[in-house]
Amino acid sequence: MDDSASQLKKFQKELSSGTVSLVLLAVLGQSRQPMYGYQIAKRLEEVGEGVLAGKQSALYPVLRNLEGAGLLASEVEPSVSGPPRRYYRITKPGREVLREWVAAWNATRDSVDNVLQGGV
Amino acid sequence: MNAPRTIAEYLEQLRAALRGADPALIQDALYDAEEHLRAELADQPGRDEATMLEHVVGSYGAPDEVAEIYRDQEIRIQRAIRPPPQPPRRSPWGRFFGVAADPHTYGALFYMLLVPSTAIFYFTWVVTGIALSSGLSILIIGLPFMVLFLGSVRVFSLLEGRIVETMLGVRMPRRPPYPSSRGLPLMKRIGAMFTDGRTWGTLLYMLLMLPLGIAYFTLTVTLLAVSLSFVAAPVLKIASDMYRWQTGTCIGAPEWICTGVEWLASWSGAMTLCILGVGMLFATLHLVRGLGRMHGQIAKQLLVRVS
Repeated sequence: MDDSASQLKKFQKELSSGTVSLVLLAVLGQSRQPMYGYQIAKRLEEVGEGVLAGKQSALYPVLRNLEGAGLLASEVEPSVSGPPRRYYRITKPGREVLREWVAAWNATRDSVDNVLQGGV
Repeated sequence: MNAPRTIAEYLEQLRAALRGADPALIQDALYDAEEHLRAELADQPGRDEATMLEHVVGSYGAPDEVAEIYRDQEIRIQRAIRPPPQPPRRSPWGRFFGVAADPHTYGALFYMLLVPSTAIFYFTWVVTGIALSSGLSILIIGLPFMVLFLGSVRVFSLLEGRIVETMLGVRMPRRPPYPSSRGLPLMKRIGAMFTDGRTWGTLLYMLLMLPLGIAYFTLTVTLLAVSLSFVAAPVLKIASDMYRWQTGTCIGAPEWICTGVEWLASWSGAMTLCILGVGMLFATLHLVRGLGRMHGQIAKQLLVRVS
């Protein structure tokens, strides 16, 4: 019992390590305005549990890595009510990468579904 | 670990959970956590800090969970910024000459050659800034000027960190220290800037860069020039034979010097110099890589020391 729970946790972790980048890029790609980390976390919370099996703190390092790779850009803005916030927006190369990633994701999802439904 | 009741407590527990990790990682993790917690607090102004933190432990993660996530991520970041590790070379010869295949060597070499220009800039900036702020301190604009100056120093600290990480391969922070004194009155916030050890560490680093930078540059350029000219000795010998240069003349010097000069002008002399030069060249590369590592540690101590 305990063993299967830890296996599940490990699987979720592996699954999310690839999808989190895609999801973050997609959220920022759809948004018209730049968003800050907390806002993105809340947006994902509304979508449901599945997307992020882990904790929201895992988002921030990924955002930073995406920025480091030039797919996102960010700037800090002071806010009227509350702390200064780092706003992220998607860059042009980011959009191109997102398009390719979405295609890769669709292909993977279809083939995984096929296998699971016994269509092989 | 008991549940944190204030943001400061949460951050303290996170810092404790990350003990032993890279200081640069700790700075980044604390920045992210504080940004998230303050956003959560501002999102629902009605709630008090303790209730908010109870909720946050579920969504953002408890301090030790967050610490574990960051440690995991860090392994991946390290893999990304570090080139794949060299296969270990066992033989002493392999280790001696292997330095030429290490990308860090060239990063460090480039850094040593670049460093005087940045060092002179930092030094001028700091000396001008300190002189002007102390001179103007008798006037009303003295304090604002000083605050601006210290703010600019923090920006350069982050910039220098990026340079050091790229060229010397030492992990440095990607985010500045979080302006955690928000909400305090203006004078207190300014005071926090003065009591932060990093501010003074950075100033010291910028002043220290000038003598260090000049030493690095001089050492590197001198050793490279000498060893490369030794390596080129056979080329000179070929040229002198081809165009029949007068090399054997030694007049008015003691006997033993003349013997030495004639030997150097011979083929055996030129080849010996060449072999010596190759040895010196690789020894120089070792020295440069070592200096780079040492400088990375200095930078880390002075720019990201965790209080």
